[in-house]
Amino acid sequence: MRQGHLHPSTMFLRKLVKIYEELGFEVYESPEVDSEWYNFDALNVPSDHPARDVQDTFWLKDGRVLRTQTSNGQVRFGEKNKPPFRIVIPGRCFRNEATDARHETTFYQVEGLCVDENISVANLFWTIDQMMKKLFGNSIEYRIRPHHYPFVEPGYDVDIKLNGKWMEIFGSGMVHPIVLKNMGIDSEKYSGFAFGLGPDRMMMKKFGIEDIRLNLSGDLRYLRQF
Amino acid sequence: MKYLYSWLKEYHDFKQSPEELAEIIVSLGTEIESLKSQIDEKIIVAKIIEVKNHPNADRLHIARISDGKKELEVVCGAPNIEAGQLVAFAQVGTKIGDFEIKKAEIRGVESPGMLCSERELGISDEHEGIKILENVEIGEKVSKYLSTEVVLEAEVTPNRGDLLSHIGLARDIGAYNKSKLDVPKIDLDQSDKKASDELGVEIKSDKCDLYCARVIKGVKIGPSPDWLKEKLIAVGAKPINNVVDITNFIMLDMGQPMHAFDGKKIKSGKIVICDIDKEMDVETLDGIKRALLPGMLAICDSNDPIAVAGVMGLGNSEIDDQTTDIVLESAVFNRKSIRKTAKLLSLVSEASYRFERGVDAGLTQLALDKAAKMIQELAGGEIYSGIVKSGDVPRHDPVKLDYKLINDLSGAKFEENDVDAILNNLGFEIDGEMVKIPTWRHDIHDKEDFVEEIIRIVGLNKIKPEPLKSGSTPAPSDYFKKEKIKDLLAGDGLTEALNYAFLSDTDVVAAKIDPADLVEVANPVQEENKYLRNSLIPLLLKNVAKNPSFDDIEIFEIGQIFTKENESTSLAIVTSGKSARKAKDVVDNLCKHLHVSGEGFKLYDIDRDELQRFKIKKQSVSVAQVNLAQILKEAKFENLEIEADDSDIVYNRVSKFPPVKRDLSFIVEVKIQLDEIRKEILQTSPKAFLVEAFDEFADKRFGDNKKNVAFHVWMQDLDKTLSDQEADDQISKIIESLKQKFSADLRS
Repeated sequence: MRQGHLHPSTMFLRKLVKIYEELGFEVYESPEVDSEWYNFDALNVPSDHPARDVQDTFWLKDGRVLRTQTSNGQVRFGEKNKPPFRIVIPGRCFRNEATDARHETTFYQVEGLCVDENISVANLFWTIDQMMKKLFGNSIEYRIRPHHYPFVEPGYDVDIKLNGKWMEIFGSGMVHPIVLKNMGIDSEKYSGFAFGLGPDRMMMKKFGIEDIRLNLSGDLRYLRQF
Repeated sequence: MKYLYSWLKEYHDFKQSPEELAEIIVSLGTEIESLKSQIDEKIIVAKIIEVKNHPNADRLHIARISDGKKELEVVCGAPNIEAGQLVAFAQVGTKIGDFEIKKAEIRGVESPGMLCSERELGISDEHEGIKILENVEIGEKVSKYLSTEVVLEAEVTPNRGDLLSHIGLARDIGAYNKSKLDVPKIDLDQSDKKASDELGVEIKSDKCDLYCARVIKGVKIGPSPDWLKEKLIAVGAKPINNVVDITNFIMLDMGQPMHAFDGKKIKSGKIVICDIDKEMDVETLDGIKRALLPGMLAICDSNDPIAVAGVMGLGNSEIDDQTTDIVLESAVFNRKSIRKTAKLLSLVSEASYRFERGVDAGLTQLALDKAAKMIQELAGGEIYSGIVKSGDVPRHDPVKLDYKLINDLSGAKFEENDVDAILNNLGFEIDGEMVKIPTWRHDIHDKEDFVEEIIRIVGLNKIKPEPLKSGSTPAPSDYFKKEKIKDLLAGDGLTEALNYAFLSDTDVVAAKIDPADLVEVANPVQEENKYLRNSLIPLLLKNVAKNPSFDDIEIFEIGQIFTKENESTSLAIVTSGKSARKAKDVVDNLCKHLHVSGEGFKLYDIDRDELQRFKIKKQSVSVAQVNLAQILKEAKFENLEIEADDSDIVYNRVSKFPPVKRDLSFIVEVKIQLDEIRKEILQTSPKAFLVEAFDEFADKRFGDNKKNVAFHVWMQDLDKTLSDQEADDQISKIIESLKQKFSADLRS
């Protein structure tokens, strides 16, 4: 009799995965606990780099980390597969901080990676355009602006306009030659782009969820509405 | 960092308005967090003719004012208004921050605008009364008399330390406007006495590239002039005294952190830059005692530290009111070393923040000269001739310029001349095939790095999006199989819960897990995040305990669990209350669907003791769990189509206060859909937030074409606990409404 319910994060990840599937991206999953190498160093974020301060990392007593982004799967996949490839990595990521209505230790992310010959910024911008239109409809107003991420060069952020205000939803860029090298891929021959976006904020906006902590609360008053 | 529009303009005379400038800075790669603008032109000078009391509010007044052309009556709450005053009148349409002044009715009296306090004018935080103006003409724009600085607050990314100064940001804006920034020269009035006769400098560590100092004697320490104080305050720095303020000013101006020592407190006359060799306690300028550790770089008076290099000075050499002689420091320290020291001391200063991101070693000496000149102008004194210096300006390796790569990687077609011009305006020097990297750019190492420079300066809109070649159909991954299993379980009526990957000490005790078996977090900020879960069950049991208003709970989770050896994907099902036995049926069903034996499943009931430890009030709880990899290996799926349609979902906020649950059953015509009734209940009752059908069957005894339907209705109040009486009232409303709409008869 009772209808079951899927978690809203499950639904949102699926929506994203389906959009990427239409663009030829294959789903790959990476571990939630990973080495410092795959999560940081392989992605051109060495320990003495200020970029590490941007993230508050859960370090485990054995020296490993809870991944801070699903990009930990980039080099894991790249070192085992020959280009061309297109993958998306959905999953949960972790940030070691005190929680409140807008901050969570645990959040979701979909990372994408496309490597081939002659992949350019123009290809990335096309993919972003497809993404935005498939997710938000053809009339969505969005902007791309340069932003620094150590694992890409150049790097870009994407904002969408919601109620007259820009909201950042998407980080992306051309895979850094050092990251390609760490995958064992010749950066003279191949290039690629990567992107990552978090569905949580989009989900909160869409449904009007007031407190992100509800999402992992196990509160059936919340879960059974979806 | 905060930047003044006018300060940026000192270096590059751009034509853009503050708003346009903000957009350009964003397009160049730096986010603007806020823009505080000048006084809106719609704010004009008005004269108060008469002050009357507000008829409906004791604390409000009505001011009759004249703007020179007409008279208006404005409601005002300020205690300091009197007839005859000249005041700032914000007319309808004025923007104050994000807020636009509209014609408003205040306690029954219409007010076509408002009189402004200093805070509303953006000139200070003063908000006690309205700003009284003097020597101004009625009807003129207030901005003609009161100027406020336009402040842009920007978030500079860690790769662009060069932007942490007004020169740096102006240079980027200049390149956008196709011009190249020239740093003005400094002429100094130096005395005949040589600085090197007074002071020696020696670098005894590889963590310092360049150390420069100047000696100035006979200065008078005092407050800075207003213009300097105002400038510092506008960008968020606190004025201290003229010399310290100048060093801060130079840092914000040129990005070079500086330090001023009291010259008389450097007793040996020799500054030595060296590594600390044994732990020692010192007191930094912020008055806090700290332990310096071996390997940290220090500035020493011969052997005794007088500053933690690049981080903060020590109290023992501080400038005070009696100081007359100063030694000014301008240096370049190793970025990694400063970062490490600042982290170890938990002391991130404006200086360490910049050193860590890289300063412009090409400006180190010029910054020293500019500071010395300003000190002489504002605090007097004699500048001893020459810079006492050790070390050299570090240079970056040149990088190859590859025009083809720039076009290939960008997907655009740039002319070589245009590329050259952009790089030149940014301060790069093209030398044949190679590019000399300017001293301020620490982020350019590879030929790919120029692609970003070119694109951000020409504008991202110059890149025409280019479709990807059509790819092959992706191979099905385990992801879709897991999602399909979720669909099957939801199809059986289960609700998907997702829980944290963590367990706390309390959880571990309740679940009787040996913490020695768990992977432990080394640095949890919150206690709940101490261990990684090795099973999904404990947190699902907590979910059961947390939902007392639900009689029968049927939940599942698919998620990662962790042991010291490995990470695996687990599936767990927990059912409780009346449907406690359901876990077994669900597992059987799932196994049948997937054509698996169901061998790996562990099915059991939670015993009374454990229910108590988890504070579960329900009588019975059953669980099932399995390592999902084991199932996926054998499973056969008919299809891997997954649902992702959430267009029909309406979410109602849930209250902090407990819900009230009521059950209702009705006799309705067979053709009426359950969902129609569900939606009607939600629409009728503002307190109902969740409605679920739990029964539906037709029977002759209800009459022809009639059926029985039953619903759980959960109600709440967002601001308090909903009373029984209120719940009853809501139920009556619902019954009435369903009767009207569907001729539904309540079954008692």
